[in-house]
Amino acid sequence: MRKKTFPVIAASFGIALAACGSSSTSSSSSGSSGTSASNLPAAPAQITVGTTYSGSGSFATSSLPELAGLKFWIKTENAKGGVYVGGYKKRIPLKLIAYNDLSSATTAATLYNQLLTQDKVNIFVSDFGSVLTAPAVSLAQAHKVVLFDQTGTGIPFFTPQNKYIVLTDLPESSIWPNVLAKFLISKQIKNLAVLYGTNDFDASQATTLKSILSQNGINVAYYQGVPSSTTSYGTLLQTISASKPDAVLEFGYAANDTPFLQNVQSSGMHFKMVFTVFPGQLLSLFQQQVGTAGLAYTYTYGTNFYVNYPTVSEGLNSSQFKTQFAAAFPGQLNSLSLDGYNTGLVIQASLKNAKSLSQTDIRAGAAAASGHLNTLNGNFVINSEGAQTGELLPVAQLFPSSSGITLKAVYPASQATGSAVYPAPVG
Amino acid sequence: MLFEYAVIGGILLGIFYALLAVGLNVVYGAQKIINLAHGDIIMLGGYGAWELYNTYHISPILSTIIVIPITVLFGYLLNRLIAPRLVKASDPEMLSLILFFGLSEVIQALASLVFGSAERSLPVSSIPTSRLVLFGQGYPATWWVSALVIIPLLAIFVIFLYRTSIGLQVRAVISDSVEAAVAGINSKRVSGIYFGIGFALAACAGVWGVFIFGGVSPTEGAAITITAFAIIVFGSLGNTLGTIAAGIIFGIFYQLAQVYIPSWSNLVPYALVIATMLIRPQGLFGRRQRIA
Amino acid sequence: MPKLDDLDLTLETGSKGKKLISPAIAALVPIVAFAVGVHLYSNELLLTYMAIYIALAQGINIIYGFTGYLPFGYFGFFGVGAYASGLVMLDYNVPPVLAVIIGGVAGALVGAILLPLFRLRGAYFAIGTLAASEAIYTIISNPSLQSITNGPYGLNLAGFYSSGTAYGTAIALAALSILATSFVRSSKFGLTLKAIRDDSYSASMAGVNVPRQRFYAWLIAAAIAGMAGSVFGWSTSVFYPQAVFDPALSVLAIVFALFGGVGTIWGPTIGTVVLYAIYNAIGVSNPQYFQLIYGMVIVLLVLFAPRGLAGFWNYITTKITTVRAKND
Repeated sequence: MRKKTFPVIAASFGIALAACGSSSTSSSSSGSSGTSASNLPAAPAQITVGTTYSGSGSFATSSLPELAGLKFWIKTENAKGGVYVGGYKKRIPLKLIAYNDLSSATTAATLYNQLLTQDKVNIFVSDFGSVLTAPAVSLAQAHKVVLFDQTGTGIPFFTPQNKYIVLTDLPESSIWPNVLAKFLISKQIKNLAVLYGTNDFDASQATTLKSILSQNGINVAYYQGVPSSTTSYGTLLQTISASKPDAVLEFGYAANDTPFLQNVQSSGMHFKMVFTVFPGQLLSLFQQQVGTAGLAYTYTYGTNFYVNYPTVSEGLNSSQFKTQFAAAFPGQLNSLSLDGYNTGLVIQASLKNAKSLSQTDIRAGAAAASGHLNTLNGNFVINSEGAQTGELLPVAQLFPSSSGITLKAVYPASQATGSAVYPAPVG
Repeated sequence: MLFEYAVIGGILLGIFYALLAVGLNVVYGAQKIINLAHGDIIMLGGYGAWELYNTYHISPILSTIIVIPITVLFGYLLNRLIAPRLVKASDPEMLSLILFFGLSEVIQALASLVFGSAERSLPVSSIPTSRLVLFGQGYPATWWVSALVIIPLLAIFVIFLYRTSIGLQVRAVISDSVEAAVAGINSKRVSGIYFGIGFALAACAGVWGVFIFGGVSPTEGAAITITAFAIIVFGSLGNTLGTIAAGIIFGIFYQLAQVYIPSWSNLVPYALVIATMLIRPQGLFGRRQRIA
Repeated sequence: MPKLDDLDLTLETGSKGKKLISPAIAALVPIVAFAVGVHLYSNELLLTYMAIYIALAQGINIIYGFTGYLPFGYFGFFGVGAYASGLVMLDYNVPPVLAVIIGGVAGALVGAILLPLFRLRGAYFAIGTLAASEAIYTIISNPSLQSITNGPYGLNLAGFYSSGTAYGTAIALAALSILATSFVRSSKFGLTLKAIRDDSYSASMAGVNVPRQRFYAWLIAAAIAGMAGSVFGWSTSVFYPQAVFDPALSVLAIVFALFGGVGTIWGPTIGTVVLYAIYNAIGVSNPQYFQLIYGMVIVLLVLFAPRGLAGFWNYITTKITTVRAKND
C-alpha cells in the first residue's frame, strides 16, 4: 500500500503544479499604466462599482447604513447621467454590484474575488471596518485593482509596496487620538486611566495616545487592555477609581462602550472626564441604550457628521446631504451613511482626475485629489501608501438638552461648535 | 480591598452565571442532547424582556416569570419533534450537536429579521437603581437585583428536582430511561417537559443578560453557549448543584482576573475547563464512573 | 507519469470484502476537477477555500469517522498552522510551500500537547478541544505577545502572495488528505481504528494498542488542519487572528464531513463540494434569507439523512441489490 501511494502523490503534485502554472497566467489582469489620451479605448457603456456588505451578523449595524450612503451617491450621479470621467470628458452611468458577506471575513474574501474575477468591476469598494476589509487588501494588490477602503483603518493594510489602496472616509486608526491628546494637554490633565480592547483598532489608538502623552510628561496611571468580548466593567471601574484619575478613556467597539457607560452610571462613580469611541458615530443608538443621564458630559470622537461644512468642492454640503438622504433612505441617516456617501465622492474626484479608466490612472486621480478635495467629511488627504491623514476627528462632548442629547465639537477651536465643560458637573 | 470587591462582586455575578449555565445542563441531562442553540434561547429571552418592557411596561423582574411557560411549551414541542429521530441515530449525542447548530443559525436569522441587527438594551431605571453597600464598597444595582431574583428561582428548581414526584420521575429517566419505563413512567413526556424547563431557565437568564451584558443582539448566542459549556464541564455534566457552584466560582475567578490580569481575563473559562479535565476529568462534583 | 492501469490500487475492506473504488481515483478526480475547474470558473480563491475545506473535512473524517472522537476545537490547529507558517515566512523568509509543511508540523505538535484531552469522551472531549483552541487564540492575539505574534494586529503576507501556487498547494493538500484517509481506512491501522470505534474493549483485548493508534490518527488530523490553515493564511494573506481562529471553520468542516458521510473516502469530499457550492451559490445570488436557508438545510439533513450522502447511497444500492436478488 505504502509503496504504491507515492507515485500517486507525485502524480498529484505534477498535475497540481501544472494547474497553478496555467492559472497564474490566466489570473493576471491588465493594469497597464499611463494610457495617453490619443489611444484611449472606447468609453464603456457603464462603470461597475463592486462591494460587499453585512446583511446580518455583528457588523450589520454599521455596514448597512454605509451601503445606503454609497447607493445614494450612485443614485444622485445617475440622475445626472452618470459620473464624470476626466479622460473621456463625459458622464458614464454607474452600476452597483453588492454581495452579502454576513459579517464573515472568509465569505467576504471569496465574494471580493468574485467581484474581481467574475464581475471584473471597475471600482472596487470594501465592506465596513478593518476585519472585513483585510481580505480585500491583497486581492486588490494581486489583481492590480484599486481598493477604495471606506472605514478599514487597520495599520497592516498600508505598506510602501501596496499601490492599490485608498482609505476614503476615516483617518488610519493610529492617528485618531492626535486631536484628543492635544485636548488633554490643553486641559492640563495630569493623571489618566486608559482601558482598551485588545484588538487592532483600539490597541493602536491606546498605543498612540500613550506615547504622545508620555512625551508631554503626562502620567498614564492605569493602562490596561481587556478582551474585546468584555461586557462587565464593574470591577475594572473599581480598580480604575483606585488610581484616582482626572480622566478615564475607554477605547472599545460599540458593544464595549455601551456596557462601560452603563456601568459607570450604575456604579455611582464620578470622573471629571469620561471618553468613549462610538457615541459620536452611533449617537441615536447610544441614546436609546445608555440614556441621557449616562451620556451627559461624556466625551467622544465628534465625527464630521456633527460638523457643518457649508462649502464643499465635490458633492452635497452637510445640510443638503442630511435633507436629501433622509428623504431617499428614511431612518438610515447617521455618520456611517455619510461615510458611504463620502466614499462615492472620493471615487468621483478620482475619476474626474483620471486620464482613463485604467486602475493606475484611477489611483493617480485619487492622489491628485489628495489635499484639494473638500467634502462634507472634511479635507481628504492621503499619504503615498494610501492611508488617510486628513479628515481628522474633533473631540466632542455630549450635552443634555431638551431633545435628549446634543453632540458639540469642542476641540480644536477651528471645528468647535461649543466649549468643553471640564470637570463634568456632578449628578 | 480590591480583592474583597472582586470576590463579593464575583459571587453576585456568579449567581447569574449559574443560571446562565444550568439550563444547558438540564437539556443535556434529559436525553444527552448538546444544545448549541442554548445561547440563542438566552438571546430570545432578552428580546422577550425588551418587548414586554417597551410594549407593556412590564418590569423585567416580572418578565422573568412570564417567559417561563412560553419557553417550556416551545421546548416541549421541539423535543417531541426531534427526539424520536435523534434516538434512532448511531451517535445521537454528536448528531444533536449538528442539529442544534442548524437550529442556532435559524434562530439567529429569524431574530435578525424580526428585531434588526442593532443591539437593544433596557434602561437602568427599569429595575431598582440603588447600589448595594457592603463593607464600605458599593455594588451596581444590576448585580444584586439579578442575584436576588435568581436565587429563589434556582432554589425552586432544585426543590422541584429533589423534592417533588415529577422531579423524582425526571431523575429516574435521567439515570436509566429503560428502568423508568418499566416502572411505568412515560419517559418521553417527562424528558420533553424537562427539556422545556431547560429552555425556560435559559430564557430567564436571558432577561438578566440584557443588564449584565449591557444589551441584547441577535448574534450574541454563540459566545454565551461556549461560556455556559465551560461552566457545566467545570461543575460536571448532568449535575445541577455542581453547575450552580461552578457558576459562582467562575464569577469569582473572572472578577479576580479583571483586577489582577485584565488582558487575560477571557482565558478564565477555558483555563477552568482545561484544568478540570486534566486534574479531575469528571468535573468538580462528578462521580468517576460517569465519564470513563 | 505512471499509467493508472499499471497500479493495482484496488483494495479489500476487512469487513465485507467488497471491492472499493481505488483511493488513487478518489485523490485524482478532485485534482483533475480543480485543475480544469479554474479555467471554467476563475474565482480561484473560492476554489482554493473549497480545497482547504475538503482537507479539513477529511481531517474530521480521520479523527471522528474512525475513532468517534469529535474535536469541536479543530480550528485551533488551523489557526496555529496559519500563524506558524506566516511567522516563519515573515521572520525567516521561508518559501511558502516549505512554510505550509512547517505549519503542518506545528499543528501536529499542538496535537501532541493536547493529547491528555483523550482522557475525556463524547461531549467532554468536544468541549475540551474547543476550550483549548479558544485558549490558544487568546494567547496568540494578546498584546503582551506583540513582539512575537504581532498580537491583535494580525499578519500581512502580501509579499508572499501568489494565487496560482497557493491554489496548486491547496489542491495537493486536498489530495494528500484524501490519500491519508484511504491509508487510514484500508491499512491494518484503519481496521484497528474501526475496532476501537466499534468496541474498544475487545480491540484492546485482542492486543491492539488503542491509545497509540488513536494518537497517530489525531496527529495526522492535526497536521492536515495545520497545513490547511497555512494555505488559508497564505492565500488570504492579510488576516486578523479571529479570521483563522474561527469556530465556524470547525463547524463547517464537521457539517461537510457528516453531510457526505464519515468513515468513507468519498463522503467528505463530495459533502464539501456540494454544500460549499450551495453556500456560495446562495451567497452570490444573495437572497434576504441566506442564513435562514442554510440553517434549515442543516436541520433537515440531520433529521432526514443522518448518515449523510454515503448513507443515502448505501440505502439506494442496498435497495437495488435486494430488488435484483428478488428478480433473480
